[in-house]
Amino acid sequence: MSDPGGIVWLASFPKSGNTWFRIFLANLAAGENGPADINNLDERGGIASSRHEFEASTLLDSGFISHDDIEDLRHAVYARAQAACEEQRWIKVHDAYTLTPRGKPMFGIPGTRAVYLVRDPRDVAVSFSHHLASTIDVAIALMNDDNGVWCAPRKGLANQLRQKLLGWSGHVASWLDQTDIPVTFLRYEDSMVDPARNFSDALAFAGRAASSDEIVRAIRHADFSELQRQENERGFGERNPRSKSFFRSGRVGSWREILTPEQVARIEEAHAPMMRRLGYPLSIEDVA
Amino acid sequence: MQPFRYRISGLQVASAFELPGAIPAAAADVVADVQVALGPVPTALQGGDRMGPNWDMVGEDFLLEVPSLGRFHIRGGREIVIALDDGASERDASAYVLGTAFGILLHQRGALVLHGSAVAHNGQAVAICGHSGAGKSTLAAALCREGCGFVTDDLCAISLDHDAHPVILPDGRQLKLWQEAIEKLELTERRGEAVMGRFEKYFLAPQDTVPAPLRLRAIYLLRDARPPLVEGIEEVSLADAMHALDREAYRPGLRIKMGARPGLVMQSAQLLAHVNVFRLTRPHDFAKLPQTVRALRAHWDALAP
Repeated sequence: MSDPGGIVWLASFPKSGNTWFRIFLANLAAGENGPADINNLDERGGIASSRHEFEASTLLDSGFISHDDIEDLRHAVYARAQAACEEQRWIKVHDAYTLTPRGKPMFGIPGTRAVYLVRDPRDVAVSFSHHLASTIDVAIALMNDDNGVWCAPRKGLANQLRQKLLGWSGHVASWLDQTDIPVTFLRYEDSMVDPARNFSDALAFAGRAASSDEIVRAIRHADFSELQRQENERGFGERNPRSKSFFRSGRVGSWREILTPEQVARIEEAHAPMMRRLGYPLSIEDVA
Repeated sequence: MQPFRYRISGLQVASAFELPGAIPAAAADVVADVQVALGPVPTALQGGDRMGPNWDMVGEDFLLEVPSLGRFHIRGGREIVIALDDGASERDASAYVLGTAFGILLHQRGALVLHGSAVAHNGQAVAICGHSGAGKSTLAAALCREGCGFVTDDLCAISLDHDAHPVILPDGRQLKLWQEAIEKLELTERRGEAVMGRFEKYFLAPQDTVPAPLRLRAIYLLRDARPPLVEGIEEVSLADAMHALDREAYRPGLRIKMGARPGLVMQSAQLLAHVNVFRLTRPHDFAKLPQTVRALRAHWDALAP
């Protein structure tokens, strides 16, 4: 595989297939030694909101800087990471694409690019509620909150830095509509139908060459049943300790059996324009 | 003449302003090892090339910028000069003087500084290391509630005594806890003032503070029990322990950047000749703290003195 270097932001609203794609990448790197151990992924990209990485770079105590000041510094941290990045680094991001309080695009570092993963918000709501170990209504409320953030408790220290989510539509729009860095997007549903094509496109966009055999093998090693098998046997470190499992269903359209009509309406009313734009048919007619 | 005197990590510190959370030292006639003052600080170091996004280092000269607070000039392991931003207070600066700035200063003095808290048990110190938010201070507070002495919080400076045995110098600072931990540990009556005005982290009134240097017996690397890690205490191999000292250093990259490699290896080897390193894997859950405390105490009982 050739490696053009630089950072690729692997961005998504939570529970939209980000981990699946990262496991695919790890399996691509593992080659015939796969399937990769989901608890020991050979991908060093990490997550952009890592508190530890921020402190290692800035030397500051992240508990004693305001969230806004942290955002301003994160831009500088990523600019340095990009400058130092000789091997391509895919970094997971759940933050929306925003300007920092001083007006810098937090992730808009020249030379970086973004692969944005998107999933039907009705399925996201179901999966998100499991991840949050909350009710579906709590998950929907966060998805519908244009000012939504997570990892920002006042009385304690979250394991990650605060991340602005901006609601589901706001999140998608923030990444797809920015013009600072090149961006492409993958629909989770398309990846489920034809992962080889979708993931090949993403790799090509990132300038990373891989043969179709390599891609097919990595997809097989990252198959949902394989991930579930590994989680059942040994657990998964990225699971929220309060939720039952991480690789829970992964199915497309499970919302039809789980969400109430009223919950569906709440999601569709809040996100109709973006859902139409991304090709997710609405179940209710003619919402405003 | 600086009006405020403290003893921190074995050093006499003279400060131009109050450092809440540090224990005042009486001996004003003793020459101070470290001066803390307000004054002009350059915006860049001569000959520097911005080693970090908000800091630079040239030899024994260190410049650190803290957003919405000010610039810290840390020199030669003996001086911290601060230029405050408009609207920033000395009170807020004190949290950084006692945190990152002192950590850098201790690195400059060649101390081995771990990112950890330490408590005393049977006349020896044990250190608990981990990343920010890992639960070091909370576990230390729980151990102190069960009778351990408090040695140091967050910054754990290790030096060698006359027998070349590693010792921790009590840093004379108070334990700091987030409000959530204070509530869960039912320590509200010992809650002191906020460490830094805007944040819900507070000093905890000292219980049994250890006054003298204590020999370090063991280092525990605090980990969450999430797959593939299972609950328990296991000793780390010597090779892994050498790596762990680099990784668990206070601001890990700094130790490497500031020290010559052979010296660091020697320092780590001297430490590991006397100190065992264990991985302490436990559920990151307030409700399960008592069982972690019990497990640790049982482990200490089984350790050779």
